[in-house]
Amino acid sequence: MKVRVGVYICSCGTNISENIDIDQLAQFSSSLENVGYVKRNNLLCSEDGKNFLAEDIIKEKPDRVVIVACTPKEHEKTFRNVLQRAGLNPYLFQMVNIREQVAWVTDDKNKATEKAKSYIRAAVKRVTLHEPLEKKEIDCNTDVLVIGAGPAGMEAAHMLAKAGRKVYLVEKNSFIGGRVARYEDVFPKMECASCMLEPKMDEILHDENIELLLNSEVQEVLGFLGNFVVRINKKAGFVDKEKCIGCGACYEHCPVNVKNEFDYNLSDRKAIYVPYTGALPNVPVIDQNKCIRFEGRSEIANEALEAGLITKEEFDRFKHHDCQLCKQACMFDAINYEDTDEIIERNVGGIITATGFELFDPSVLPQYGYGKIPEVYNSLEIERILAQTGPTAGKLLMKNGKEPESVAIIHCIGSRDKDYKDYCSSVCCLYALKFAHMIEKHSPEVKVYDIYADWCVPGKDNQAFLDSIKEWKNFEFIHTTLPMNVVSKIKDDKIDLHCIDISEKKRKVSADMVVLCPAMIPGKDTAKLSELLMISQGREGFFAEGHTKLAPVSTNIEGVFIAGCAQGPKDIQNSVAQGAAAAGQALSILVPGRKLELDVMTAEIDEKVCAECMICVGLCPYKAIVIDKEKKVAVVNTVLCKGCGTCVAACPSGSAKSRHFTAEQIFAEIEEVLK
Amino acid sequence: MSDFEPRIVGFLCNWCSYAGADAAGSARKTYPPNVRVIRVMCTGRIDPQFVIKAFQAGADGVMILGCHPGDCHYKEGNYKALRRFHLLRKMLTQFGIEEERFRLDWVSASEADKFVETISDMVQKVKALGPLKREIAA
Repeated sequence: MKVRVGVYICSCGTNISENIDIDQLAQFSSSLENVGYVKRNNLLCSEDGKNFLAEDIIKEKPDRVVIVACTPKEHEKTFRNVLQRAGLNPYLFQMVNIREQVAWVTDDKNKATEKAKSYIRAAVKRVTLHEPLEKKEIDCNTDVLVIGAGPAGMEAAHMLAKAGRKVYLVEKNSFIGGRVARYEDVFPKMECASCMLEPKMDEILHDENIELLLNSEVQEVLGFLGNFVVRINKKAGFVDKEKCIGCGACYEHCPVNVKNEFDYNLSDRKAIYVPYTGALPNVPVIDQNKCIRFEGRSEIANEALEAGLITKEEFDRFKHHDCQLCKQACMFDAINYEDTDEIIERNVGGIITATGFELFDPSVLPQYGYGKIPEVYNSLEIERILAQTGPTAGKLLMKNGKEPESVAIIHCIGSRDKDYKDYCSSVCCLYALKFAHMIEKHSPEVKVYDIYADWCVPGKDNQAFLDSIKEWKNFEFIHTTLPMNVVSKIKDDKIDLHCIDISEKKRKVSADMVVLCPAMIPGKDTAKLSELLMISQGREGFFAEGHTKLAPVSTNIEGVFIAGCAQGPKDIQNSVAQGAAAAGQALSILVPGRKLELDVMTAEIDEKVCAECMICVGLCPYKAIVIDKEKKVAVVNTVLCKGCGTCVAACPSGSAKSRHFTAEQIFAEIEEVLK
Repeated sequence: MSDFEPRIVGFLCNWCSYAGADAAGSARKTYPPNVRVIRVMCTGRIDPQFVIKAFQAGADGVMILGCHPGDCHYKEGNYKALRRFHLLRKMLTQFGIEEERFRLDWVSASEADKFVETISDMVQKVKALGPLKREIAA
């Protein structure tokens, strides 16, 4: 079938005509096969130019259009819209860039004209091979799954719920608030963390648009933007949250005493417990691994037997003990031993993952004595010691119950060191200052040494926060070359810290307690979630953002967003900002009543030719290709495909095709530019 | 041989190198007109057959210009192009096509100067090599 191509040549004022012979181009273009007509215009992108183009296309009724003008990066969209207006499929069009890549860069007018001719020849040939591409739309679900109920996740959930979206907020713990729930105060204004957090937590708990799934973990994620299916494993908690009033009678009667992980094992809890006073929601859970009714009975009994606390006879009785003390203590019949784990399925359009951070394990660096010397703590442990809901009710006390005379805080544990974590976690300097301020307030007689190499206190409030601690007489900075050089040794009930200060002098300070500020690392579920969500992890294991600067909460998977410390170390305000940003992203792509417009220049696979070799499946950076097991062929999910074409370049059978960048179209271009 | 004007095909990715070529234009930096640019969305789209086709159809040289490693608009297409480039160049040299006739470089959207230098250098090198001999000994 012969197609009729209309060629439009723009002189761009004199930008093009100054250095290219337009008459020659017009004459040359008319001589090409398939060219029905050639028209010239002084400025096609102007309103007059676009109107001329639209009217002329309506009048001439070409099958294809070639526009010889500037770079397609500037005006391809402009002219596609004009074509659409004129009733021609916008992909039956090719642009020839003779301004940026010919007229403006070539000295010799004859050579420029020749070069322009070869591009026109290629475009005319290529455009005859173009196919009309139709925009596709799909329905989308506008509900959102938020994983992690820390500051970032709560902010995202709250914003989405306020906008009327249904939110499924999944939290693996029995409480919300994340790490911040463990803090007494927050820097730099020494604000009470729970006072700050509780109103937000309250809104989360009482928002009808938020379904809070506690003790829950995401198990499986299927689908794509606008159409995800998520399976969540909700663990049995054995306490009916509708009946429980949070009186605490149940745990008072529980006979089991175990270490409380919430306090980093610095306190004890029961098998039925709330992790700390004030935890929200205030509903206890039974720890199946510790309760003597459940799996925990063998664990506890074995420990008791090994410790010689019970005889073999008692062990057997204990093992089969049908303890019901908590149930008997509950006045509201809230305890249900028959509760079981449940798999919950939810359909959502977008996913925000805000799964937080862990601390680098300082015991990897034996010089600090962490894990060996009892009075060496990491920063989260000190947060608990300084918290009123913590193991010492907020008093700075050592394990022997005495107040220390001196405390040393060491910065940069495992941080900024290429052998461990080469980045700065950006919050440690500030929380180290927070600890100093808290000790100054509650135990002003305690001497505090702050061993640092550099200060990282950017931001509008933080320098003043650093400066203000200098006024406290019991605070002393020790500027070392490298915190890695600090060595802790026990001497006469004190911990001697040996280091080299900035003037290269050996220094020794004696402290009763040592606080280490380790690097922040990704939460331990990050790798598992990145696999489930198919999103990338960066070099240090944090979720990788779409673009460092321009897409900090996006990922390589459309519709999956990241926020908070799961994306990288940051403070509370930045985590909240990212939570809000992720919610905003989700709101802007998932709009009720609006369909999702799909990219048209995607890959497609000819199922008659595909041999199911799977090469494309592994190459696709967007996991957009799956195998249809029945048909035994690869199938491109055009919702996920971004049209990069790497699968097409690799397909050994030639069954994969890039729409608008087909092999035939590119071969034609190659042949024609070289004629 | 001094009046030999080589014909070179340049496959440029849409996001970095094509934009870099445009930037050279906006800055009115002139360079030899020997390279014919073919725009692809990503260097990962470049099928080795495109390169072979260009040499068959009369190119004296072929260049692939893409985003710098780590900057690919599609995450990793440029790495795939790099892997294919090394294998293909090995094969082309076995056909008697000199290494300098096939080149891969990274040019970002802002590197107008690097674009001009890369093009000029390629043209000069291929000029020095002379036309690609296509006749096959019987």
